[in-house]
Amino acid sequence: MKTLAVVVTTPPYSHLTITALTYVETALAAGINVIGVFFYQDGAMHANENISIASDEYQAIAHWQRLNQQYQLPLHICITAAEMRGIACDSIDNEQINEAFTVSGLGELVELTTKATRLVQF
Amino acid sequence: MTSSDQQEDSNLSEVNGLAIINSKAPFSSNYGKDALDVALIFGSFEQKVSLFFQGDGVYQLIANQDASLVSIKDYLKTFSAFEFYDIEDIYVCQQSLVNRQLDEAFHIDDVQVLASVEFGKALNRHQHVLRF
Repeated sequence: MKTLAVVVTTPPYSHLTITALTYVETALAAGINVIGVFFYQDGAMHANENISIASDEYQAIAHWQRLNQQYQLPLHICITAAEMRGIACDSIDNEQINEAFTVSGLGELVELTTKATRLVQF
Repeated sequence: MTSSDQQEDSNLSEVNGLAIINSKAPFSSNYGKDALDVALIFGSFEQKVSLFFQGDGVYQLIANQDASLVSIKDYLKTFSAFEFYDIEDIYVCQQSLVNRQLDEAFHIDDVQVLASVEFGKALNRHQHVLRF
């Protein structure tokens, strides 16, 4: 079975993230096996529970959370990228990290890449 | 299975590994270091990874740069460790060098300078591509 892995490097307030979300949701709705999304560089900011975007604008984080719940889509953040952007990753029950996201390292990116038929970066 | 499917399959069997394209100059952003971290992780997991330098990314290979002059930790020094991670396929776009009037004087050995078409073909041999 063909599998898809996605890398997101854009922050939650970037319009490019909307493209990534639309792409992933369309793939999931089409029954494609999306084995995970890896958030690297500014993408790691998605896991920051304290980010607040004006309510009349696109809520990227809420949409990732919805896809995580609806499709059990794994969302991995790079710990190094997250920590240098002010997201403390030292404890598991950290209230600063959105619960839909899993704190991972670049090793997870290796794992996703080797398992995926195709890797798509945003 | 049609003959074109078989053709596609045989082409796919020749592609493998990850290609990382470096497209940014070394000291104005963290992109180069982020790409390096990915390359070294793939190397340490014994996964095949090739490096491509294109556009302003070619500045990452130019010799005799001193990042300390602009108070930056010199991640370019780590490029010399590529052989220990079995990262052997390093390609640079010739046209990108020409456009910037840069000589083929690199701070690491075994860099392959490729014309645009060959650069593209080398890239096409990889299953996955990440761009930084």
